[in-house]
Amino acid sequence: MASTRIRADFDVEVSDGALGYNLPQRLGRALWLPMLAMALMAFPAGVVLSAIRAHAIATGGSPKAIAELGQFSIAANFVGFASAFAAISFAIARILGAFRVGGGHVQEAAGRPVQTLKMPLTAKVFLGLMAMGMMTLLGAVALHVAIGASIAGGSTYALGHVAQWGFWLEGARRIGIALYLLGITFGLATIVTVIRFQSVRIVELVHVPPPVVSERQPT
Amino acid sequence: MASADALLLRPAPGGDPRATSRFRAAGLGAALFGVTVATAALVANIVAGAWSDQAGRAAQVARIDAWSFGLNTAAFGVLKLSVAIVLLGILRQLWLRVESVKAALPSLAGVGGGPVPIQAGAEDTPWGAATLSSTAPKPMLVHRLARVMWGPSLAMGFMAVMGGLVLAVVQATKVVSDPALAGHLSAWVKGIQFLGEGFLLAGVSFVLGSILSSLRAGGGEVQESAGVVVKTLRMPATAKAFLGLMMLGLMVEVFQFVVYVATTSFSTATAAAYATWLGPVREAGLGLILSGIVLALVTIGNVLGFQFSRITEIVRTGR
Repeated sequence: MASTRIRADFDVEVSDGALGYNLPQRLGRALWLPMLAMALMAFPAGVVLSAIRAHAIATGGSPKAIAELGQFSIAANFVGFASAFAAISFAIARILGAFRVGGGHVQEAAGRPVQTLKMPLTAKVFLGLMAMGMMTLLGAVALHVAIGASIAGGSTYALGHVAQWGFWLEGARRIGIALYLLGITFGLATIVTVIRFQSVRIVELVHVPPPVVSERQPT
Repeated sequence: MASADALLLRPAPGGDPRATSRFRAAGLGAALFGVTVATAALVANIVAGAWSDQAGRAAQVARIDAWSFGLNTAAFGVLKLSVAIVLLGILRQLWLRVESVKAALPSLAGVGGGPVPIQAGAEDTPWGAATLSSTAPKPMLVHRLARVMWGPSLAMGFMAVMGGLVLAVVQATKVVSDPALAGHLSAWVKGIQFLGEGFLLAGVSFVLGSILSSLRAGGGEVQESAGVVVKTLRMPATAKAFLGLMMLGLMVEVFQFVVYVATTSFSTATAAAYATWLGPVREAGLGLILSGIVLALVTIGNVLGFQFSRITEIVRTGR
C-alpha cells in the first residue's frame, strides 16, 4: 500500500483494495450500544433517587440523608449524560467507518486505485474533545459519589462544604457537556469533509481508466 | 409545498461538490462561541464556590448562581444549534453526492447480462429488509414532517433558551429586593430553558430525520436514473425507536415546564420538594431525546452501509 501526498485538495492514502475500519471506528461499532444501554439505565436511576430525596425533604427527613441522596442522584444523571454523549460520539465514528469502508469498496469494484481520506484534523480534535468531555464528566461523577459516601460515613466536614463543592462540581459538569457537544460538532464536520471528498472522487473515477484489466470484464 | 429544506438544502443540479461547506464553517464557529460562553459560566461557578463559605457574600453568590445557570444553559443552546447547522451542511453535501453518483454511475456500471425486467417485491439484505421497485420511493409521512419541522423546532428552542437567559438576569437583580419574585423567576427560568433545550434537540432530531429522508430519496433517484431496480431499505426498528424516544423526551420536557410553572403558586417548602425531583426529570427528558439521536445516527450508518453495498453491486454487475 502506498502512502503519499498525491493530490492537493485532499490528503489521501492509496491502496489496491478497500481499507478496513480504523481503531476509533471499531470502538464505535462495538461500544455505541453498551453506552446507550447505560444511559437508558442511569437516567431512571437518577429520577428514582431524586424522588426519594424529594420525599425526605417533604417529610422532614434528616439533612444528612437529603445531602447524600442529592450527591448520588446527580451522579446517576451525569453517568447518563456521559454515556449518551459517548454513544452519540461512537455512532458518529461508526458513520465515518461506513464511509471509509464503503467508499473503498466502490472504488475497488470499479477497478481503480482506492483513495481513502487520511484522518482529518477535525476527526483528531473530535476524539480529543470527546475524551476530555468524558473524563471531566466522569471525574465530577466520582467526586459526587465520594462526597455522598463521606456524608453517609458521618463526615461533618463534607456535610458543611456540600454547597461549596456543589458549585465547583456543577461548573465541571457543565464544561464537560460543553466539550462533548463541541467534539460532536467537530465529528459531524468531519463527515461533511468525507462526503465532499467522496463526491469529488466518484466523478474522478469516470475519467481515470482502470490500470489493469478489471475482473468484472469478460475474458 | 416547497419546504425550507428543499429551498435551502438541495443545491441546483450542477452544484460544485468541491466547494467547502458554509454550514460547516458556521457551525464550528458557533460551537466555539458556545464553549467560550460556557467557560465564562464555569469561571462564575468557581467564584461562587469560593465565596460561598465567606460571611456576607450570600447575596452575591445567589446572584451569580441565578445568571450563571441561565448563561450556561444558553451556551448549551448555542452548541446544540451548532450541531444542527453542521447537520444541515451534511444534508446539503449528501445531495451534491447524489448528483455526483448519478453523473458517474452510468460510466462505471458493469455490463452484466444486459437489462432485466424490474419486478416489484422484497429482499433480505445484511442491513434489513428492502423493497424492490422501478421508481424512487415517495417520502414517508415522518420524512415530510421532519422536513417541515426542523426549522420551527430549532427557532422555538433557541428563542425559549434565550428568553430564559433574560429571565435569569432579571432574577439575579431581584434576589435581594424581592426574594419571592426571584424564586418564581427561578422556576420559570429552569422550565422554559429546558423546554427550549428539548425543542433544540427535537430540531436536531428532525434534521437527522431529513438526512434519512434525503438518503432514501437520493438513493432511489440514483438507482432509477441508472435504469436498475430500485432497492430501498424498509424503516428499521432503530428508526422507529428513534421516533418514540424523541416524542417521549419532548413530552417530558413539556411536562416539566408545566409543573415548574405550577410550582410558582405553591408554598416555598412544597416548591422546594417539587424542584428536587423536577431537576433530574428535566435532565432525563433530554436524555431520552439524546438516546433517540443515537439511534438515528445508527440508522444513518446502516443506510449508508446498504447504499455503498448497492452501488458496489451496480458497478460490479450493472444490475
